Amino acid sequence: MTAYLRGPLTLVWMLLVAATVVSWWLGARGDGRPLQVNLAVTAGVVAIALVKIRLVVWHFMEVRTAPSWLRYNCDGWLVFLALMVLALYRYSS
Amino acid sequence: MGSANPAAIAQRSAHSAPRESIEPASRHCPGQGSMWFFVIGDLWIFSCYFACYIHDRARHPEPFLQGQQLLSQGIGVLNTVILLTSSLFVALCVQATRAREIVTASRFLALGFACGAGFMLVKGGEWYLKIHAGFPESTEPFFVYYFMFTGLHVVHVALGLLILALLWRELRGTKEPRVEFAETSATYWHMVDLLWIAIFALLYLVR
Repeated sequence: MTAYLRGPLTLVWMLLVAATVVSWWLGARGDGRPLQVNLAVTAGVVAIALVKIRLVVWHFMEVRTAPSWLRYNCDGWLVFLALMVLALYRYSS
Repeated sequence: MGSANPAAIAQRSAHSAPRESIEPASRHCPGQGSMWFFVIGDLWIFSCYFACYIHDRARHPEPFLQGQQLLSQGIGVLNTVILLTSSLFVALCVQATRAREIVTASRFLALGFACGAGFMLVKGGEWYLKIHAGFPESTEPFFVYYFMFTGLHVVHVALGLLILALLWRELRGTKEPRVEFAETSATYWHMVDLLWIAIFALLYLVR
């Protein structure tokens, strides 16, 4: 088992955990003061989440070696999600 | 059986049967197309829910910001790490199945399943604390979404655990476990993981 754990997927997992900690730091509530709307924090947190999703899709779901129709579908959905979230956040108010 | 080196297997496979490789072949669809049809459809449906959530919170941010203040970010991070770890184990299970190392694959699957069950326990504990402590009426718009997203997601986790249990039966109960079955099961399980990544960011972290 340890031989598998020394493989590249564990490196991907480490990146995912590190990205989770960075996004936690970015979106941390701090000293308990009331939260404020913050576009920079939101954009950063969403960007990190999208990178994490891309890592899961590409490496854990093995889409990096999949046929092009599947790769385009996954990346298309991801781009749509990013644009939709940020556009609605910015312009729905 | 558990001591094989993936790098050595990959190198060996260049000179022997391709099924010994732990890596998928180029242009190989990982799992059944019907599962991918379901997964991509589910992702688009969740996108619609996310759109409603972002639209509502952008129009009236106060109840959402107040509600977020009552969530434990630490519990959210813990559950994210648990699910990422589960995904890693299930991905390694697929690699070991491909290399026909079924005992190793079963062990990774058991670890992945245990992490998934751990996620459910932590989520149950979080719900219990939240319901027990209550929340101000002013934060209701946020908590409607919170319970909807986390509830829908837990249903997906429960179905995922059932699928992993079927994969266990495939690995332990058949002479020639199907690699495609492992890939298909893993595809569903990783979707559960990536949905949580989005839910965690949108519920616990965005401002």
